[in-house]
Amino acid sequence: MKLLQKTNRAYFIVSGTAFIIAGIVFYFVISYFFKDQLNEKLFHDIENIKGTIKKSSTIPDYYPFFEIREVSKQPEQSFKATDTLIFDSFGNKNIPYHQISLITVINDKEYFIAARDTLIEEDDLLEVISIVTGIIFILLLVSLYFINRRLSMKIWEPFYKTLDELKEFSHDKPGFTLSSESELYEFTELNTTLKKLTEKVISDYQSLKRFTEDASHEIQTPLAVIQSKLETLMQDPDLKKDQAELINSAYVYALRISKLTQTLLLLTKIANDQFPDKKDINMAELIEEKIKMFEDLMTEKLLTLGKDINTDCILTTNFFLAESLVINLLGNAIKHNVKNGVLNIKLDKAHLEISNSGEALPVSPMNLFDRFYKTNMASDSPGLGLAIVREICRLNKWAVCYVFEDNIHKVVVNF
Amino acid sequence: MKILIIEDEKELVLTIKNFLETEGCLCEVAGTYHEAEDSLSSYNYDIIILDLTLPGGDGLNLINLIKETNKQAGLLIVSAKNSLDDKVKGLDMGADDYITKPFHLAELNSRIKSLARRRHFDGGNEIIFNEIKVNVDSGEVFINGETIELTRKEYEILLYFIVNRNRVITRESIAEHVWGDEISYVDNFDFIYSHIKNIRKKIELKNGRNYLHNVYGMGYKFTDR
Repeated sequence: MKLLQKTNRAYFIVSGTAFIIAGIVFYFVISYFFKDQLNEKLFHDIENIKGTIKKSSTIPDYYPFFEIREVSKQPEQSFKATDTLIFDSFGNKNIPYHQISLITVINDKEYFIAARDTLIEEDDLLEVISIVTGIIFILLLVSLYFINRRLSMKIWEPFYKTLDELKEFSHDKPGFTLSSESELYEFTELNTTLKKLTEKVISDYQSLKRFTEDASHEIQTPLAVIQSKLETLMQDPDLKKDQAELINSAYVYALRISKLTQTLLLLTKIANDQFPDKKDINMAELIEEKIKMFEDLMTEKLLTLGKDINTDCILTTNFFLAESLVINLLGNAIKHNVKNGVLNIKLDKAHLEISNSGEALPVSPMNLFDRFYKTNMASDSPGLGLAIVREICRLNKWAVCYVFEDNIHKVVVNF
Repeated sequence: MKILIIEDEKELVLTIKNFLETEGCLCEVAGTYHEAEDSLSSYNYDIIILDLTLPGGDGLNLINLIKETNKQAGLLIVSAKNSLDDKVKGLDMGADDYITKPFHLAELNSRIKSLARRRHFDGGNEIIFNEIKVNVDSGEVFINGETIELTRKEYEILLYFIVNRNRVITRESIAEHVWGDEISYVDNFDFIYSHIKNIRKKIELKNGRNYLHNVYGMGYKFTDR
């Protein structure tokens, strides 16, 4: 709900309730004064009638406005005000009346005298009051709405501007500033706090980026020395077979550390969203290219490759990440395949499905995407391939899942 | 060929220098940003190997100086950062190639030679090794004057061997050179053997000699010695 909507709703409820209460109170007050006025008039009428009876000793007939009867042997009764309904033969309906009645003695005779007036005016009054209150209410609401809208647009303008600028904020885009200025204390405070916050986010991001790069540099440089020394040592023509094996073994392990560091660095970079450049990528082309790259490995394992690749899958993402995704999935499907096995690649507009034959996993597939997860502890691979796949999917908000059916491992990515 | 190595890691410089000198190159070393500035303003080089992380300044800033003082030189950037930003920036600023640490010496050699060929410091577009002649522009290979048909991968492997002749080349190095970084994903390099077998066969078919030798468990050596 928007702020304006919320305040308008509150205004509407509060002023509506206030108007209904005010209307009711207004009605009772008016009605009280109206009856008071009516009573006074009717007193006056009764005094007049009393005078007429005294003088002429006749009983005038002004029904229904006066009702005068002789009553016998009844004690005197003072004024009594009541509301009553009297049938009107012209209009053929009951009409509400207000009456004042008394029993009094005139010329030694006892009379019951009632003076009446219709209450039709009161009904009209109620109607008029409701209409007038209603009109005032609507007028007030409309003007409130417009005043509120104008005012909040003006007051909240710097806020919305700040909001728009914040939407453009990205931790890897340097030089972020908040331009809006407001005379309102709250917004100035907000902007100052946001400025501090964004500066902190940017500097944290930069130092994290620098840290991962520095850490990588500090590890890779000694590894480069080790690798080059071992390669130089390999050139010695007098090497014996067992020496050569020792050197080669050290060399292979040095390469493995180097690969591992690079992979961990890549995982950190993906988690930190350090791959901002996005473009449209034709997945079919990318997959075909990587299939060509892995061709020799597939031939080596005598794999049967099944392809069902639609060319209309275009993803807007970072090229390097899309490439890593395909390489890791394909590489995995080849590496964990069996000799003479099958490898199937299915691509359509929204899915990539890579399945391969292989033995069942000894442990729960839930952990398959975890870092350093291996089914075979003695395996050379560090078990980071699927962790990378999961991180890439998480960053791009793609869903990835794994199924094992009929000795076929299947990984599906939903773009 | 005169090469300037701008790199602060002394042990690495030593190995690279010794390696390149056995390849017949003349090497000079600059260990800091300022030494590099001095060398670049005083002498001309054919190839410059530049490490981006240097004491005293950012290696990227040296590129402009190189473009001013050593316009004709081939520039190869070496970086341990493997940072995409640096790679793009470096190549944009005019570097010819980019290699990430740690690298195989054979790979470094191959990149330098290719750079030298492109700049025509190293005898143009033909590489000759006894009866084998490779035209790097057309990608043709001749044995005793007769062409042989090689697949793209076989061609790249052969070229890599000839450039790194008389040296032990590891399987890992060949795999990375021909298939790219990502191939190190695999732990079995047997597939290289079938390509090497094919190259041997094709060369022997035209009465070429077999220069490709297995070296224990380490790799291969291409040599006539």
